[in-house]
Formats: sequence, structure tokens, C-alpha cells
Amino acid sequence: MVQVNGWLAPKYLLWLWHGFGITLGLAATVALSATALGLVLAMMRRARWSWLRWLAASYVLVFRNSPLLVQLLFWYFGVATLLPETAMTWLNAAHTLSIGPVTLGWPSFEFVAGWFGLTCYSTAFIGEEFRAGLRGVPGGQYHAAAALGLGPFTAMRYVILPQALRIALPPLFGQYMNIVKNSSLTMAIGLAELSYASRQVDTETFKTFQAFGAATVLYIATIALIEVALAVFQHRGARMSHRS
Amino acid sequence: MKKNSLIAAVLGLLLSMSGVAHADRLDQIKSAGVLRVATFDSNPPFGFVDPKTNQIVGLDLDYAKAVAAKLGVKLEVQATNPANRIAFLTSNKVDLVFANFTITDERKKEVDFSTPYFASGTQFIAKKGVLTQPAQLNSLRIGADKGTTNEQQVRAQFPNATIVAYDDTPFAFAALRTGNVQAITQDGPKLVALLAKVPDRDKYEIPPFTISNDYEGVGVPKGEPRLLAAVNETLKGLEADGSAASIYDQWFGPKSAAPLPRLFKIGDPQKS
Amino acid sequence: MPLSVLLDNLPYLLLGPFPHGPLGGAALTVVLALSSAILSAFLGLIGGIALALTRGWAHVVLLATIGFFRAIPVLMLIFWTFFLLPMLLHINVPGLATVVCALALIGGAYLSHAVHAGVIAVGTGQSQAALSLGLTRGQALRYVVLPQAVRIMAPSFVNQWVSLVKDTSLAYIVGVPELSFLANQVNSRLMVYPVQIFLLVALIYLILCTALDWCAMRLLSRHAYRSTTDKTRPDLPIAPAIETI
Repeated sequence: MVQVNGWLAPKYLLWLWHGFGITLGLAATVALSATALGLVLAMMRRARWSWLRWLAASYVLVFRNSPLLVQLLFWYFGVATLLPETAMTWLNAAHTLSIGPVTLGWPSFEFVAGWFGLTCYSTAFIGEEFRAGLRGVPGGQYHAAAALGLGPFTAMRYVILPQALRIALPPLFGQYMNIVKNSSLTMAIGLAELSYASRQVDTETFKTFQAFGAATVLYIATIALIEVALAVFQHRGARMSHRS
Repeated sequence: MKKNSLIAAVLGLLLSMSGVAHADRLDQIKSAGVLRVATFDSNPPFGFVDPKTNQIVGLDLDYAKAVAAKLGVKLEVQATNPANRIAFLTSNKVDLVFANFTITDERKKEVDFSTPYFASGTQFIAKKGVLTQPAQLNSLRIGADKGTTNEQQVRAQFPNATIVAYDDTPFAFAALRTGNVQAITQDGPKLVALLAKVPDRDKYEIPPFTISNDYEGVGVPKGEPRLLAAVNETLKGLEADGSAASIYDQWFGPKSAAPLPRLFKIGDPQKS
Repeated sequence: MPLSVLLDNLPYLLLGPFPHGPLGGAALTVVLALSSAILSAFLGLIGGIALALTRGWAHVVLLATIGFFRAIPVLMLIFWTFFLLPMLLHINVPGLATVVCALALIGGAYLSHAVHAGVIAVGTGQSQAALSLGLTRGQALRYVVLPQAVRIMAPSFVNQWVSLVKDTSLAYIVGVPELSFLANQVNSRLMVYPVQIFLLVALIYLILCTALDWCAMRLLSRHAYRSTTDKTRPDLPIAPAIETI
């Protein structure tokens, strides 16, 4: 039957923990960049100039309707051949940036490629969620803001966007959960994240059940935490709108 | 009473099922008429896709075909990479593994090995002039294949090296070409064959040192002594009637793309 | 870079070694996606109905199970079904079946929520009317509520199926010779054309997914048109562009 012959040695637990750290780091950085770019994309879809709108729509079409795996392989193995050698040497060397007491190290090329590919992919989805959120804000709000004398940017910043964000919050957090899950695909380009680590542990120790079990538990725990965060945000948002 | 007869029926069913689950693999293969093997599909000349026929061919395939012919069954090939080999065997997706499978004590705990049919050592490919001494490995980024002894050996012998593991050798080589890694590691013969097919081979070299002595054998599921004996018999027979030599000649002989002298014959004593 | 190299390999990418071997490539992708889609639609319907009908502990357990399948990465579930399923069932399960199983479970979990949301969107008025007409609960569900619910949630089904086509690319990890796997094989053999190969493969997926999207949307808009012109049911909502994950 299923082999459950003892727990994993500390050395392998450390591998899994390192992998988990990379998964979290990747997901966090992608969430930041994809949210910012997604907002830009959503605004582009509502732009006055049709070529901007067309560009944004094509971006969404291309990046939503092709698999993330193929995109990652393209960026890591394909585009890497197109970059000049000096760029590749720079990207692969270790750089450090010291800001006061904190020293940031440049991550591996696998991480950079994984971050880039995952950001491009997630931006398409997050952009669409923001677009739906913006559409959900009643037209009257725009008119009211204009009547109060607010310019288009101030209106966007203080009136429209907060409401759009509140509408888009649940699907947005859903996309963050997807980012965490999709980070597992970067194992194909050699990034030592959690799924990769669990596979490595399994190959060396043959304790399939323990290795994959530990990784699964960590993923589910992360997703559950994001769900809790969403519930907290929504609760606080509802309380604040009640107060005002 | 109904409950007792129900329990008896369930127990009987379970017992009969467990009996079926432990039937001898060799008998199962013969009754099904099919031998399922796992071979490489991107590792010339051990297992690769022939672009003219779109079939997988290679040295490992020739040995697999010989075993199938000896058992009198058809051969069914499952393409694999180093990471999936053992998984396919232990989860009963294939009956045998012919994929340049290095024999190690760790692996012997999970699978059985036939008598070795190939010998090699772990070597490296790097851009010309980058790697001349083994000690340099500690300061390099090295590409390896997931689940291979090469990866484990480099990690054990050169703990300061940065190892990036890919699903298969061509990926590692692509990373070498773009500069993501400075050297890649695999069995010497595989590297020789790989380099022979690369269009820009003048930029690369294989430094003339090896960090291990390895033997490759056929992977057999644990606890199948009759199947193991059949495989061993076939391999020894191939050596005896000269077929092993001609198989080697076809892929590594003087007229092939990557000539290498044959230093190991099936049945030779193993250096430790 | 000669176009002929790409064109030479196109049949292999589209069909695999067929007819001299088993089906592979884009054709296998379509087969995988179709089987998973049908199975996941079936599981989604059952799950959605169960969500609508259960209360208390059964409901909580159901929610937890569905939550598990929505939280686990597809890759990890493929690992699980690939390794554990044969061990549990003691029979030889082909790689294809394990992938279809994993994809169907995840798709079914998402669709359960979609069907449940659709049932709620239809509203209790419809089921109460059906009951007052003398139909049993089962008949009310089958003939009145579900058809309307499915029509409302159709965009979610289409979204999920497009995801399925993309997720079939993960079968590459367990050695199923679908399009991404063969793309890697060809790329490994040619070695110097990764950009072109992966662009071509991305294009093939793009065509597959966009065609699926477009066909499904055309079918849906015809349905919506028909139902909005049906004057006897003015309260029936037009299929909204609900964008689910």
C-alpha cells in the first residue's frame, strides 16, 4: 500500500522550507507588479484613443488564451537567446543594493524570468477584474464628481477608484490566490520553489507521500490565509462605509 | 446471518484482489502480449526522436527491442525524462526502464537493476577555456538534470557550487548557451553525442576529467525475480552473440556522429 | 531561419506520431480538454445541486472538499493522481486518465460554485412556483431551476473550459505527449530555434482557445436573444458577463 516510512530528515524539511520561501517571495512580488500594471491596463481599455484600447484588448487576448507554461518557457529559453550577451551576464551575476541597514541581493535569473512571465500573465487577468470593477461604478458618480468641480484625475483617485476597488476586491484576491498556485509552474524553468523542492525531496528519499503532503499543506495554508485576509478587508471596508 | 455473509464476501473479494495484485509481472507481460518500457526521447543517442519517422530510436531502444523479442511480445514505449523514470516504474506505468539508468545503492532500495550494460563517468560541458580543473566547479553555476546521479554527485563533491536543475539535458544546454549556467553536467558519452549535434559546437568543449565511475543498467520493479532473470539472460546473450557490440557500433562506433571506444562489455567486473 | 523547418514539424506538433503511433500533439490536447470538460461539467452539476440542497454538517464538509480542490495547484494535484491513484486502485492507470481525473476534479470544484450561484440567481420564486404546480423537489430542480441556472452561468462554464485547454499543457510534467510535451521534444532536437517553436505553439493554443471562446459565445448569445424575446418570462435575466476565475 502507501509507504509512510517515517518523517523527512531535517535536511529535506529545510529544502521544502526554502522552496516555500521562494514561492511566497515570487507570489508577493508578482502580486505587486501585476496589480499596478493591471490598473494601467484597465485604464487603457477605457482610453479615448481607439488604438490604445485595441492594444490593451490584444494584450488580454494573447496572454489569457495561451498557457502559462508555454509563456514561461518562451521567456526563459526563447527570449534569453535574443538578449545580447552583456545583458545575460549582467542578469546572471550577483548584485547587491544596500539601502541603509538592509542589503538586497539580486535574485537568480530563473526568479527574474519567472517573475516577468508570471507578471505578464497575471496582469491580463487582474486588468479584467479592475475593468469589471470600474464598470460597476454607477455613471452618476462621474457626473457628481464633475459637478463638484473635481478634475478627471482627482475624480478617479478619490471617488471612482475606491468604489471600483471595493467591487473588485473579492475577484482580485481570487487572482492573488491564482498567482500563488501558478507559481508552481516555474519549476519547469528551474526555479527552486515549493513544487520543485517537493519533487527533489521525493526523488532523493522516495517518501512520495510525505514530500507532496508537506508541500500541499503549505499551499493550502497560504490560500486559506489569503481568504482570511479578504474577509478581514471586506469586514473593515463595510464597517468604514457604515460609519461614514 | 446476513451481516456475517456480507463480511465474508467482502473479505473474500479483498483477498482475491490482493492475489491478483501480486501476480508475477513476467506472466502479466506475456499474457498481455506487450512490454511497456520507459526510454528517453531527447537524449541522443540513447533515446531520441528520429525526425524522418517520428519514432523514438537509440541505443536503449535497441536493447529494449531485444528483450521484447526474447519474451515474444510487442514493445510499447513511454517517453520519459530523468525526473520521471523512477516514478513511472514504481507506479506501474511501465515494466522496465531503459533510460541510461545509473546504478546506485540508494536507488537499489526502490528498484532492482539488471547487470550493467553501459559504463560512463560524470563529465561537464563548458564554453571553451572556462573549466580546466575540477576545483573550479565550486565557484560556478552548473546546470544538471533533475533526478540524476550527476546532480547528486556534484552536490556531494562540490558543496559550494550553485546547481540549477532542469527537466532534461537539452534544457540545461539551452541554459548554457544563453549564459544562465557556466557548465552543465551529464554522463560523458551523452555529452559527446549532444555536442556532436549542436550547430555551434566550436564554442564548447568537454574538459578531460571525470568525477565518478558509473554503471547503467535496466530498471526492474522490486520483487520480480523472474523478470529480472529474463532481462539478465537477454543482455548476456546479446554480448555472447556479438549483438551488443554491433548495437554499440551503430551509435558510438567509428562511423557514428560521436565515436567513443568501447571500454565496457556486459559482464565485465565493475570498478568500485 | 527557414520556414520549412517549422512547417516540417507542424504535422508532428498537431498529431504526434499518428498514424504510426498513438495520437499526440494538439489533437491529444483537444481530446484531453474535451474529456475533462465533460467530466467536470458532470461533477459541477452534482456539486452545485448538492451545495443547494445540503444543510449543516454535510454542507460544511462539501464546502471544505470543494475548497480543497480550488486551493491546490493543478500541478500538485496531477502529481497526486499520478502517484496515488494507481496505488489506491491497484490497477494500471494510464497517464492520460490521471491527468483527466485531476483536471476534472478541479474544474468540477469551480463549476459547483458556478452552478450553485446560478441556482441562487434563478431565485426561490421559480422553485416555489414549480412546487405549487405539483412537481416534486427533484422535478422542480430538473425541469425548472437547472435549465435557467445553467443558462445564466454559461459564461462561467466557457471560462472554465478555456482554462482546461490551457491546463492540459501541464500533462507535460507527467510525460503525456500532448502539444507542450512535443514542443519541448522538437525544441530539444532542433536546439537553436526556441523562440520560433514556442511562438508557434503559443499560436496554436491561442487559436484553440479563442475559437472555443468565440463559438461558445455565439451559441450563448443566440440563447439569450431567444429568452429575452420570450414575453411570458420577463424576469429572466440576460446572461451577464460574470467573470469568474
